[in-house]
Amino acid sequence: MIRLDDIIIQAKNVNFYYGSFKALIDVTIDFEKNKVTALIGPSGCGKSTLLRLLNRMNDLIDGTRVEGEVIFEGANIYASNVDPVDVRRRIGMVFQKPNPFPKSIFNNITYGPKLSGISRKTDLEALVERSLIQASLWNEVKDILSQSAMMLSGGQQQRLCIARALAMKPDVLLMDEPTSALDPISTAKIEELIEELKKNYTIIIVTHNMQQAARVSDYTGFFYLGKLIEYNQTDRLFTTPDVKQTEDYITGRFG
Amino acid sequence: MSRALKEKIIKNVLFLFALVSIIVLALIIIFLFMEGVPIFGVVSLKGFLFGTEWYPTYDPPEFGIWPLIVGSIVVTFFSALIAVPLGVLSAIYIAELAPPLVKEIFKPVIELLAGLPSVVLGFFGMAILAPWLQQTFDLPTGLNILNASLILALMAIPTISSIAEDALYSVPQEFKEASYALGATPFETVTKVVVPAALSGISTAVILGMARAIGETMVVLMVAGGAAAIPESIFDSVRPMPASIAAEMGEAPFRSDHYHALFATGIVLFFMTLGFNLFADYISHKFKEVGSATL
Repeated sequence: MIRLDDIIIQAKNVNFYYGSFKALIDVTIDFEKNKVTALIGPSGCGKSTLLRLLNRMNDLIDGTRVEGEVIFEGANIYASNVDPVDVRRRIGMVFQKPNPFPKSIFNNITYGPKLSGISRKTDLEALVERSLIQASLWNEVKDILSQSAMMLSGGQQQRLCIARALAMKPDVLLMDEPTSALDPISTAKIEELIEELKKNYTIIIVTHNMQQAARVSDYTGFFYLGKLIEYNQTDRLFTTPDVKQTEDYITGRFG
Repeated sequence: MSRALKEKIIKNVLFLFALVSIIVLALIIIFLFMEGVPIFGVVSLKGFLFGTEWYPTYDPPEFGIWPLIVGSIVVTFFSALIAVPLGVLSAIYIAELAPPLVKEIFKPVIELLAGLPSVVLGFFGMAILAPWLQQTFDLPTGLNILNASLILALMAIPTISSIAEDALYSVPQEFKEASYALGATPFETVTKVVVPAALSGISTAVILGMARAIGETMVVLMVAGGAAAIPESIFDSVRPMPASIAAEMGEAPFRSDHYHALFATGIVLFFMTLGFNLFADYISHKFKEVGSATL
């Protein structure tokens, strides 16, 4: 359904284990460039595990194991010669709970770029402005860049985290339930932002909120018990799903 | 008996116990001042603190504790030079970088070090370190500042290490994840995110470790050498305040000037450790209130 040229990242026959527990079972899925793909399913279905697999964040958990391949721009990111640090610089991530560093707003955004070697003050300043504008936070914070990020509201903190991820100029942005800790107004702002960002970025978002998946995404994957049950265009999956289980879930019969 | 009454009795009994500990402590402090203050009828406060002659048994006696204060400060300073890097770095290693197996061994071993009686450490300093220092550096005595600093550092390391480790553990996992997701290595994450976020706790650890070193008596009594003179090199002997009190109290006649002078030395020591503790408390609260400050 996705043209081969448009695939930016794909998981191929991926199995994933936490110790002896198999959290993902033979998952194969393609993600299209400059689109928003939503991953939905009940708690514990493996959707967050898959997301964290795409930038090797699961490496940080002891006792986990991956089988299969994740191909990003033609190469397997789990190949032995790949440094996970390089992967994470290209594939950014926004977490469930806003997690700005206890540093100033400015230093939050420049944290990643500085590590990757940008040190000229004017470059950093330009990057901060650009990232905050992209995350539609610039007007609210442009006068308080040197203040602690901890004093922003939850919604502002989350947009700061998005700006921080964007400052790395990633190709793909992973979002793990980015609005689940936010109020409806902040949620609406983030959803608008996602709409805006997909012009330049590929976004993969895990959400518990099916309306959110329907509103923001182009493709949706439904997971259940570690398996990808159905993967389809969003409007199709939510109106005429191919699989009975999907229909049961989106109509609220389980989950 | 009704449940409410029972609760009330328990509450009051516990209050009584808490009160007893506080009253006892207060009485000790009052006693310390009552026995110490009379010396200021013999010597002025300035003469006592900054006088450079400590000859309490001469005729006429001299009660200047400046050499003792310098002795305490010098020994504490050099032990800090050794203990702070070792304590903090070992905490960072154990909390953030060590593989689980190494952590399981290192953590209890360092905590065990805290359980070593100070007299045993002092004995080690006297019987092994002192002769070695004397021979290696060709000194008149191995009981000197360097020896005392080394042994005091050994005592302060477990305190610093375990408190700093707690501070590092309490840095939220979310900060580390955010750092890794931005392409930081484990080392960069530790130095640029975890340690800054734990800085107030680490400072507290350092200060409490130093407070422990400055008040420590047995070690300095055994290995500092006991010379009540202002030192000129780290191979000189000194007589820190606690050592002076412990060594002389037995010989000072009851309620004599010498006796009062030793209590007054105790007051000075009390204020120094109190200062350390208040400072530690201030640092650990300062950053907490703003939900971690701007770094």
